[in-house]
Amino acid sequence: MNVRGLRVVVGGRAGEIAAPGAPTPAGLLAELYEKHAAGVYGRCRYLLKDDAEAKDALQDVFVKVLGALPEFRAAASPTTWILRIATHHCLNLLRARRALWRDQLRMAQAGRRQETESPDRRELVRLLLALASDEAQEIAVLYFVDELTQAEIAQETGRSLPTVRKRLREFLACAREALGVELQGGDL
Amino acid sequence: MNLDIGGPGPGCSSMRVRRLLAGELTGVEKERTEAHVASCPRCAAVQEEIAAEREALRRDAPFPQFAAAVAEKLAHRPHRSFAARWAPLAAAAGLALVAGALLVRRPADTDAVRSKGAASVQLFVRDQRGVHELAPGGRVGEGARLLLSLQPAGRKRAAAVLVEPGETSVIYEGPALNGTLPQAFEWTGSGVATLLVVLSDTKVDAKSIRSAADAPAGADVLQVLLRR
Repeated sequence: MNVRGLRVVVGGRAGEIAAPGAPTPAGLLAELYEKHAAGVYGRCRYLLKDDAEAKDALQDVFVKVLGALPEFRAAASPTTWILRIATHHCLNLLRARRALWRDQLRMAQAGRRQETESPDRRELVRLLLALASDEAQEIAVLYFVDELTQAEIAQETGRSLPTVRKRLREFLACAREALGVELQGGDL
Repeated sequence: MNLDIGGPGPGCSSMRVRRLLAGELTGVEKERTEAHVASCPRCAAVQEEIAAEREALRRDAPFPQFAAAVAEKLAHRPHRSFAARWAPLAAAAGLALVAGALLVRRPADTDAVRSKGAASVQLFVRDQRGVHELAPGGRVGEGARLLLSLQPAGRKRAAAVLVEPGETSVIYEGPALNGTLPQAFEWTGSGVATLLVVLSDTKVDAKSIRSAADAPAGADVLQVLLRR
């Protein structure tokens, strides 16, 4: 019986399935779930504001991750990488219904005029994202939600520092115009 | 009015807290972050938020349901790669297989011109019992990996496809290797599937193979029946 092939497989292209000492397939998914699913689900709930949709998005994100295991493993920070995938996925869903998203912002603006308390800043960021360009949206989430520095964002996204700063300022300019108030954020 | 909408603070970063808890920080960065988090109310709030996320996940998407849903989505992905489909699908479902008899079919119109020795294939299983050849009707343990070995008898090209009702997955397409293929696979489908191996002297387009009749003229077609 030829068993050499099975050993070759273990260390070869199928290494993501069962490299020596690595988790079994079931173990791999369980490990990914244990380490990252809560954060991904949290991100999806935050952006989509709908638990059922967020659950669906969580599954979709993991399907994407499983299809890109080499990139995932090569990431300097798997946590940052997977949350970016989740953010990107959810922003795409939101862009498909941008009109509704902007309606939510208008309602929040109207409601805010009657409130004396400061709004939830993260919810405000979520709504203001509707006004920004696609690139600015992702950078704004990395900055205002994940709280990466501008340098970290530049490194993570492969964009230049001036581009990151420009996109963040664009986002703030849109937000100021929409809210009619001065905004401040981080070191901008 | 001046609104603060956040952003990274001096030493504060929700992502850094996440990375700390995920064990991604080392050395000085880890020590510095641990020291900061221990005395920072803002980072403490992030930790609470992460704990709440975990609770929400356990409540709304416990692992068994999550894994089953991911497996379902993977199974319905169009044009996905072999590895992308089988490995994670197996991860989620971990099904057992029962193999049927190995049959050899050579298209009748080629018998007259075929002069080489008979080609054959073997299907090996690695399971809890170790590595063994799949016997007709033999049962394969849960999470078993299958590996195909070719004896192409001088054939130049090979393709292996798994045919299930409604869909076909390419397992291999390339030179007719004498021996095992470079990659094992796991079948996590249900019902019955047929592993079709085509050995030919001409190029084989694996994607076009749905049945033995789709093989190029003169090719050998070998079938292995898989049952769950």
